[in-house]
Amino acid sequence: MAMAAFRREGRRLLLSPVSYNSSVAARSAILSDSELGPMGARSVSTQAVRNRMKSVKNIQKITKAMKMVAASKLRAVQVRTENSRGFWQPFTALLGDNPSVDVKKNVIVTITSDKGLCGGINSTSVRVSKALYKLTSGPEKETKYVILGEKGKVQLVRDSKNSIEMNITELQKNPLNYTQVSVLADDILKNVEYDALRIIHNKFQSVVSFLPTVSTILSPETVEKESEAGGKLGSLDSYEIEGGDTKAEVLQNLAEFQFSCVLFNAALENACSEMGARMSAMDSSSRNAGEMLDRLTLTYNRTRQASITTELIEIISGASALTG
Amino acid sequence: MASTAAAVPFWRAAGMTYISYSNICASLVRGCLKEPYRSEAAAREKVHFAVSKWANGKPEKSSNGLCLSF
Repeated sequence: MAMAAFRREGRRLLLSPVSYNSSVAARSAILSDSELGPMGARSVSTQAVRNRMKSVKNIQKITKAMKMVAASKLRAVQVRTENSRGFWQPFTALLGDNPSVDVKKNVIVTITSDKGLCGGINSTSVRVSKALYKLTSGPEKETKYVILGEKGKVQLVRDSKNSIEMNITELQKNPLNYTQVSVLADDILKNVEYDALRIIHNKFQSVVSFLPTVSTILSPETVEKESEAGGKLGSLDSYEIEGGDTKAEVLQNLAEFQFSCVLFNAALENACSEMGARMSAMDSSSRNAGEMLDRLTLTYNRTRQASITTELIEIISGASALTG
Repeated sequence: MASTAAAVPFWRAAGMTYISYSNICASLVRGCLKEPYRSEAAAREKVHFAVSKWANGKPEKSSNGLCLSF
């Protein structure tokens, strides 16, 4: 009779891990606290593992959702980016590209994102900016930073804060449009003196590849100086200028417009790269969360089975102690 | 190329850059549109960003959220 009662008791205790009631947990004190397994070995309690599994699963859901949001935003910006590439191509056809021009006043415009969780693109941009800073610094030369985006500011403020000229944030509150970027470009042009502007951004090649690129824009005076050296700029004189503008006038207008166009394209490309990088970062984090969940499930099952086994052992040895 | 020093266009003489000149012209054109296109174009005119200028390694406290419309 006592045996049957014991067996029933055992079965009731065995069923308790299935229900998550805290009252049951209080009764079956064997399972809710960290327990001593066979030979006194400690094992993680199932409660702790269960909590961890729940939080990892939530994180996985969130990162999956973030990936989908980034994918949809990417589709929207990608079309505009590819269309905006036609803005700066005529300028390069006319004025050429002179990244290795040697001037006294350089302004490095670094484009980064405001939000995080986008992989390594902001760090690569900042690294390229710092390298460019080293390259363009020297005696009698002056290099300054204009930073677009919060993430770049945070990284550059650590060691180059005396060279920061301006910092612009909240750029992506409304979808990027040309008017906004051109007002920004105007603002930058009014506030910095420059011989050459170097815009650093991540060019969007595909969803998984982003190339850090530098676009150089020369001030009209530098263009004059470089045109003496020949090349594309030297053949500017062969163009006929209509209207009442002088060459200097035209160059001034062109330089401002070029900066505005290139900045627009650069901002769009960087936004595209940010979305793509966020997609791949969130994708890999969901995958990692899935793997973590698998490992935790194994641990949980092992712990659960171990506790069931110890209970059985206790019951059976108790029963045999009574009878034998 | 004869360069008459006084042949500066009026907007340049007034202190505007080419960018602001073209933006004003663009908003004038947008104002000439008729209804469904007008509201679509108005969405393309929104400007918002926050500038902070730095001096000696410190940002100056002027954080004006520039919200301009021409």
